Amino acid sequence: MEDLVRIRDLSVRFYTYEGVVQAIEHMDLDIRKGETLGIVGETGSGKTMTAMAILRLIPYPGKIESGSIIFTESGLRGEVDLLALSEDRMRSLRGNKMSMVFQEPSAALNPVFTIGDQISEVYLLHRRHELGYRAMQQVEGLLADGKGNPLAGLRRPFWRWQRRLYCKIAQESHPLEPRIVARIPFFNRLLWRLRDEAELLTVNILRDVEIPDPARVAKEYPHELSGGMKQRAVIAMALACSPKLLIADEPTTSLDVTIQAQILELFRRIKVEKGASVLYITHNLGVAAEICDRVAVMYAGRLCEVAGVEEIFSNPLHPYTRALLDAIPKPGKEPQPIPGTLADQFSPPPGCHFHPRCPNAMPICNQEVPELKEVSKDHLVACHLF
Amino acid sequence: MTDFKFMMRQLVRNPLSLAGLIIIAIFVIIAIFAPLIAPPPEGHLDPYMIPREGYSPIPQPPSAGHIFGTTEGQYDIFYGVIWGTRSAFQVGLIVIGITLIVGIILGSLAGYFGGAVDEVIMRITDVFLAFPSLILAMAITAALGPSLRSVMIALTLVSWPSYARLIRGDILQVREEDYVEASRGIGASSLRVITRHVLPNAIYPTLIMASLDIGAVVLSAAALSFLGLGSPEGYADWGQMTQFARNWIVGPSGEPLKYWYAVTIPGLFILFFVLGWNLLGDAFRDILDPRLARR
Amino acid sequence: MELRAYIVRRLLLLIPVLFGISLLIFGITMLFSPIERASLYVSDPKQLRDLASIIQTYGLDQPFWSQYGTWLGQVFQGNLGWSKVVSMPVWNAIWNFLPATLELAIFAAPVIIFSGIFLGTKAAAQKDKPLDHATRVGAIIGWSLPNFWLGLILLMVFYGALSGLLPPGRLSIGMDAVVNSAEFARYTHINTLDAILNWRWDVFLDALRHLILPVITLSVTNVAFIMRLMRSSMLESLGKGYVLTARAKGLDEKTVVNKHARRNALIPVITISGYLFAALAGGAVITETIFNYKGIGWWAWQSASRLDIPSVLGFALFSAVLFVLVNLIVDILYTRVDPRVRLGGGIQ
Repeated sequence: MEDLVRIRDLSVRFYTYEGVVQAIEHMDLDIRKGETLGIVGETGSGKTMTAMAILRLIPYPGKIESGSIIFTESGLRGEVDLLALSEDRMRSLRGNKMSMVFQEPSAALNPVFTIGDQISEVYLLHRRHELGYRAMQQVEGLLADGKGNPLAGLRRPFWRWQRRLYCKIAQESHPLEPRIVARIPFFNRLLWRLRDEAELLTVNILRDVEIPDPARVAKEYPHELSGGMKQRAVIAMALACSPKLLIADEPTTSLDVTIQAQILELFRRIKVEKGASVLYITHNLGVAAEICDRVAVMYAGRLCEVAGVEEIFSNPLHPYTRALLDAIPKPGKEPQPIPGTLADQFSPPPGCHFHPRCPNAMPICNQEVPELKEVSKDHLVACHLF
Repeated sequence: MTDFKFMMRQLVRNPLSLAGLIIIAIFVIIAIFAPLIAPPPEGHLDPYMIPREGYSPIPQPPSAGHIFGTTEGQYDIFYGVIWGTRSAFQVGLIVIGITLIVGIILGSLAGYFGGAVDEVIMRITDVFLAFPSLILAMAITAALGPSLRSVMIALTLVSWPSYARLIRGDILQVREEDYVEASRGIGASSLRVITRHVLPNAIYPTLIMASLDIGAVVLSAAALSFLGLGSPEGYADWGQMTQFARNWIVGPSGEPLKYWYAVTIPGLFILFFVLGWNLLGDAFRDILDPRLARR
Repeated sequence: MELRAYIVRRLLLLIPVLFGISLLIFGITMLFSPIERASLYVSDPKQLRDLASIIQTYGLDQPFWSQYGTWLGQVFQGNLGWSKVVSMPVWNAIWNFLPATLELAIFAAPVIIFSGIFLGTKAAAQKDKPLDHATRVGAIIGWSLPNFWLGLILLMVFYGALSGLLPPGRLSIGMDAVVNSAEFARYTHINTLDAILNWRWDVFLDALRHLILPVITLSVTNVAFIMRLMRSSMLESLGKGYVLTARAKGLDEKTVVNKHARRNALIPVITISGYLFAALAGGAVITETIFNYKGIGWWAWQSASRLDIPSVLGFALFSAVLFVLVNLIVDILYTRVDPRVRLGGGIQ
């Protein structure tokens, strides 16, 4: 299968008051077209930062130190290195070709704008030409219908002006006139059809994520919705422009169990219907087992193991993966907690970061960093045992 | 006290708060050594009254005898600003001291007992806070009769409610915490719980911030003095001296800035005094802000 | 409907506060002995012999609560006493001087609020960069400046050194005559507005010229205050999840800051702006005093320095009531800005 994203030698560091944190160390990871890749790890393992690095939204005081993230856009343009793109180009990809669903839907939605406004914003930003074209067609219809009607005659000049504005929006990449008009109070109402078209698309995408009565929900503020509905709205926002890559950062963690199941079902359906690749970040192997095609396990900023979901459950190789699996409660078996504590982020243990907690630790483990090796087809492990 | 060390290191490292510390230190030295820097003349009864030489109504420019010049009525400006430093510290320390005592007592009563006590105290603070503070202070000072003492009483009366509220808020926050519950659980008396556990944890930050309000208090006191409601003519008080120089801001034609010293110098002393405290206060606000702490 | 119930409830809650305000004001007058208070009714020294009968007539030796009742009854009839400074009832004096103060507030408040919001947003968006440090130092100096001294220095420079460029007062003498003449219709007593309504641009410009220095004096401290508040509010807002969402949508930094973050950060600033306007409209005593700008603040100072206690207290009562009412209005406006504010209580 073709790769959508190829991460090579990615390193992210945080320069904090207490010291430098290696959030991600020399990571190599591929996301294939149309697959759901799960990243599993404990809090602070660097899984969220991987997602942020792809979007190039690493928060201050973090910095991407090195590496490349090759993103394969559809069509002729081929491959681009996200880390080498200009900020402008990067912005045109965010929310458009790649988008993100966050953990806390109530934090992710702006409390002072309606759901509809927040989703329309994505369309107005990335689908401007299309909206302009549709609005232009509307005005042309009005101009054609209104012939001979004396009342419409009065409004014709305005319609003509609107047509010109929408035509410019549909054709030019940075049209001057509409931008000026949008800034002048009262006159900016000439552009209302643009918002109207965006709203139509918004209602459609809300219906797509199974929100009942989407027209009403679009007019509501986030606090008026339940947690599950909010998360559906956030997912709708992420899906608005049919992205190639959908990143989901623990999207079900803050929800009730029944709602969780519904949201997972929604993700499964999206993958099938939209053909998007999903990068699904979770600390819960059980959730990963339910919806992922492949799973990558992370520990203290490094990948431990990458394999297909069945392979990782039937044949886990890395001691950390095994420990994680043993920690899941199963009927008839006591869950085994992982001994020791998570590696100190300022001065992680040398060599393999997991060796102080590893039951199979060898002398080499605290000296050499194990490399990620392919031990069987599509099964990669970073451990000196293999 | 590693927290204390951390705080001091932050203060000294930040150029702004360091400047504040230095300014305040200079003012403290001026206040302590006022009798040496500007010795009152022999037989002068009240050192806070500025000595005058003659009664000429026209201010005289800086000279060897009067390095900052003299005001209308020949009061020596240098003497006035030096001893005015003492007045400023007096007003600031007394007002903040009393305000804090009243604020702590009423605020902790309200916060600790809640219920009716809380309700009554909070409604009283509501009433005081419904007035723009300078206007209430002005009314009270005018009613008590103009004097520095009235100014201090008025400022205390208008500023205790906000401290009481702050401390009440702090206490409400802390008393929910486990260790307070625990000490109540083992049967410690209310008073003991307040003094031993709640106060030290709840109010240190508030106390520090409040004591840095000395600058603001001195500024308000100077404003009331400027309105003619504070100390009498000739008293070593920056606000009064500014007010006294008000008629001389514009010189005769041809020399419009002739009497610049009369109004500028006392005002600069107020500015720097208040600035010193505010610089320190700003740094402390950052240090004490839990969201910014130690990042 | 819900809104009306909310307003009614808020008005009911105002009653204890207003009661407390009146009690405090009346309590201050009771600091004076009956004889002192009786002498306030005296305009002619000859009447001083009749103090005993004045005390009798006005019931000044009655118990506290009965006197309070009488006084409150008078206040409700609009009788706040007699202002010696302008020889008219206090109530009339307030209405007489209010337009000038309102004019000053109308010009100063937008300057203060908009520049405070603008600078605060910029400082937060450029946290720890030179502009942020510069505005921080500026703010600390701004609120350390004694505004009475600043006003005098401004006068020294712009009135003295620049030979009368920006003079004190409300109008130049010539323009004062125009305004008081019969053909100049005084609709509002707000000079700039009346000048526009009378189509007298000379009067308008003259009034504006007199407003510049007071507005600057009022701005320096208050801009510093609004700016710092806006900055910290913005910083909090910029750290929120919805800002990350906005960035992940592909919005440019300007839209993220000015739309998504600022809209939320404005919420606390709106309350404080309400307080600020109320405080300005309630009389900028010091500024009006320095610039000899005859508004209620100037009148209050005149009364205070002549120890005209009924006037000062009438003024204090007026500004407190104004303060409380403006805050009520701000709270109602709040429900329009922040959709989360339920009319029943605080933020969810």
